Amino acid sequence: MTMTESPPSEAAESTEPVAATPGAGLYDALTTSDHKAIGRIWLRLGLLLLLGVAVLGVLVALEGTSADGADVFGGVNAVWQMQGLYSVGLVLLVVPALTIGLATIVVPMQVGSSNIAFPRAAAAAAWGFVVGVAIMVVSVLAGGGWGALDGVSGGEADAIELTLLGMGMVAASILLACICLATTVVSLRTPGMGLMKTPLFAWSILVSASVWILTLPVLIANLIIIVVDLRGGPLLFGNPEGTTMIFDQVHWVLEQPAVFVLGIPVLGIIGSIVPVVAGARHIAHAGLMAAIGVAGLLAVGGWSQPAFSDQRDELLFVAFGLLAVVPVLASLALNSLTLAKAGPQVGLPPAQLLGALGAGLLLLLGTGAGALRVIGPFDLIGTGADAGVVHLVAYAAVVGLAAGMWFWASKIGGYALPNAAGLGVMLDFIGAAVLMGAAHVLIGFDFASGLNDAMAWVVFVGAILAVLGALGVVSSVASAKRSGDEPGDDPWHGHTLEWATVTPVPAGNFVGALARVTSEAPLLDVAEQADSDEGGAS
Amino acid sequence: MTATARLPSPALRRPRTVLVGTLFASATAAMVYFGVLALYVSRRAEARLLGIEWFPEGVVELGPSGWIFWTLIMSSFTVQWAVQAIRNEDRPNAYVALGLTMLFGAAVFNQMWFILNDTGFALDASEAQFLFFVLNGTFITFLILAMAFLFLTALRAMFGQYSPRQNDGVPAAAMFWHTVAAMYWVTWIAVYVTK
Repeated sequence: MTMTESPPSEAAESTEPVAATPGAGLYDALTTSDHKAIGRIWLRLGLLLLLGVAVLGVLVALEGTSADGADVFGGVNAVWQMQGLYSVGLVLLVVPALTIGLATIVVPMQVGSSNIAFPRAAAAAAWGFVVGVAIMVVSVLAGGGWGALDGVSGGEADAIELTLLGMGMVAASILLACICLATTVVSLRTPGMGLMKTPLFAWSILVSASVWILTLPVLIANLIIIVVDLRGGPLLFGNPEGTTMIFDQVHWVLEQPAVFVLGIPVLGIIGSIVPVVAGARHIAHAGLMAAIGVAGLLAVGGWSQPAFSDQRDELLFVAFGLLAVVPVLASLALNSLTLAKAGPQVGLPPAQLLGALGAGLLLLLGTGAGALRVIGPFDLIGTGADAGVVHLVAYAAVVGLAAGMWFWASKIGGYALPNAAGLGVMLDFIGAAVLMGAAHVLIGFDFASGLNDAMAWVVFVGAILAVLGALGVVSSVASAKRSGDEPGDDPWHGHTLEWATVTPVPAGNFVGALARVTSEAPLLDVAEQADSDEGGAS
Repeated sequence: MTATARLPSPALRRPRTVLVGTLFASATAAMVYFGVLALYVSRRAEARLLGIEWFPEGVVELGPSGWIFWTLIMSSFTVQWAVQAIRNEDRPNAYVALGLTMLFGAAVFNQMWFILNDTGFALDASEAQFLFFVLNGTFITFLILAMAFLFLTALRAMFGQYSPRQNDGVPAAAMFWHTVAAMYWVTWIAVYVTK
């Protein structure tokens, strides 16, 4: 019987405390069914991809600094392929891998479950993602990609099909992981934890998983048709020699509204970090849940693809673009009020708070830029503003996820990540997002060619900052692991159930049965009860 | 008050993980299929706007596709019969119902194969014929998946799993089956009736 076949309460009762498996080998990694080990596979891959995509971003930005092209990649096809890989890498590889990694580790603990639902399927999703990424990257390097501009050889045409296969595997793996995560939140919550008492990060993962479940299958449907067409159909999507029709058919997944799904977990991370830093309950937990839910509704994107006629001029597309700002603004306002209630903070802010608030502001900028983009008279669709929105939203997600990694580091790997390094990492990523996002939007406005040239260099500087940020995360994790400092079970006096377990987290997560949960902040309930008991006794 | 009413309440049911997971998986499958169908319908609308004939008159007949429609309706009843039987711990009825459902599935597969041959369509002949193949191919894939799910569920039931209080697998397989049936019902109207 697997752990998921027992109710959480029973599983918790029957679980002996077992030390987390240190430095598991490849066999253990391949066969594990522990959600923390599976989550670490996603996180490691996500960090590796972040570093790779950030470096690729520098090369793409360098290419963009010259009107004639800096010829970094050696040919117009290669430039176009690498730009495609960079966009797909940022939106479909880096952010989903980091999001699913963090969620796979934290969400089961937050909802009081002993493991993720369908742990073997979750492990299969992680390894399927690895294989999909490998196929995609290798095939693009072999001359594949999403079509070609100036002709391809026979081998390169096959590589294009391989790229699409890899993309499909990546999407299917994300979907499988989403099914596991969403099922965990829906059916494995501890007794007493109604849906409205779900911690905000777990809720945001349920919402974003649902949005991906509604969106990514439509991408897979596109890929099925394109691949069958290339294998023997009438070439509806153009002969891969000299056409961008394949990319045109799938690029809606890299644009708003579909790209806004990346920002939903950010709202959950902010909502998890802020009350802990403030040491108080959220002033409106239900309001924040509603804001995250609305953000999810506005991020469903399969309908907006050009194949269903050009939706971009239609009222619904414009409404989605304009309204996307509202839930982000509402979420930031409610979190700010919670912080304000706690009074001013003295000294350096913890890295996770800086990251959370910075991510929130970047998301606001991203959705704001998206709102500008859909306003017809600005004529920004199909310009640099497309990339501006993607950079702001995707790097908002990266900053938010980095903040989450700093916040939950003790539960992820049993170590504490250094605060000073964290502040540097957050500032690096925030700077990268602002420079790349704002510069792309300004290029979209096309005020003057001289300004556009200057902005291309600003993008280049932003891309370098992104590489520094990625290196900062990797080196912080490496040094924290080496230092061996033990952060304690609950270093931040957290409010939700993941802080009720010991560090490192044992297999089965919880030692003994959990008490019935009565609010969204069960550990704060316990602390308040202890305070009131002490007050009564004295 | 009867004696049984004074008994302590039963222990909490185990979380319906398989059922919830299948709900999300069914949603995923439906979105893949309806994504393909939406592309089919939008390309057909574009062709009509340009005055291009989509299918030659009389090639795609309503009769054989209608038989699939009715067979899937019957299969939805039989799969629910299996759910009810397993809830009542009536295993012989459950096995018969699961077997009948799979038989209906095989009949649908056979009829679909007949349609693909009967039309004489070729994959690379035209956009309409290509998309017809892709749509039906995607449906057949999901039909096979649903039949495999039912088969595994039947095997597990035969080996003693599932009970009136522990029967998630059968309703889960039934839910996926209904989803696949619903895919076809929408297709029947959007592709075969409206052509």
